[in-house]
Amino acid sequence: MSHQDQKNGQFFSCDVKKVLPQKYPFVFIDRVVEFDKTGSSITCLKHITANEDYFQGHFPENPIMPGVIIIEAMAQAGILLYAHVKSDNMKKNPQFFLGKVEAVFKRPAVPGDTLVIEASADKVIDTGGIVKVRAKVGEDIIAEAVLGFGVKLGQ
Amino acid sequence: MPKVKDAGAMRKGIRKLISDISEIPEKELKDDAKFAEDMGVDSMKALEIVAAVEKKFKVAIPEEQIPTIRSPNDVYELIEKLLKK
Repeated sequence: MSHQDQKNGQFFSCDVKKVLPQKYPFVFIDRVVEFDKTGSSITCLKHITANEDYFQGHFPENPIMPGVIIIEAMAQAGILLYAHVKSDNMKKNPQFFLGKVEAVFKRPAVPGDTLVIEASADKVIDTGGIVKVRAKVGEDIIAEAVLGFGVKLGQ
Repeated sequence: MPKVKDAGAMRKGIRKLISDISEIPEKELKDDAKFAEDMGVDSMKALEIVAAVEKKFKVAIPEEQIPTIRSPNDVYELIEKLLKK
């Protein structure tokens, strides 16, 4: 991740796509809006539109963002946080493995909402991390999770 | 930062964390048992133990020290050392 690509403390969406190993249609972060200079936290946005594919089935008359997709968005925020803390490792084609999820969902997220995803590092090391993540819409907490992930570095 | 006033209390606190995360009852926990080989603690749980101990004792365990932690005894020694700094 090139910090020179930042403008006003924000990454453009193309940078998120460069950093995340997930690609279309499986990118659930639109933008990074803030990160702590010490590498302890990051804030990301996901705009939820009515055009998301999964709303066709979840649910036709009552579109709700699936909880597993919210967790995926949180995990991607965790990867972006890792990429910020361990930027050198990102050159080594890291593979990320979600190892543990402890989550609580408090209210549904629906088309028109903007998810604000705040991830903070409990511990991030070369080979993995534990992050606490909170997804909010406005002041409402949508979900909170503790995610543990492993990282396998390539060449 | 908490001082090591009572090494026994510190060990008790660490044992409780290890027991909770490893899901091994405290009475069955052996201080010299190896996390991976004897206790079945995988790398994810090991990282959880490190994060929990850091939080409880308000210390930062350097990343390069983590691979040297192989048993509960190693945790006690390291935390004692870090708290004395």
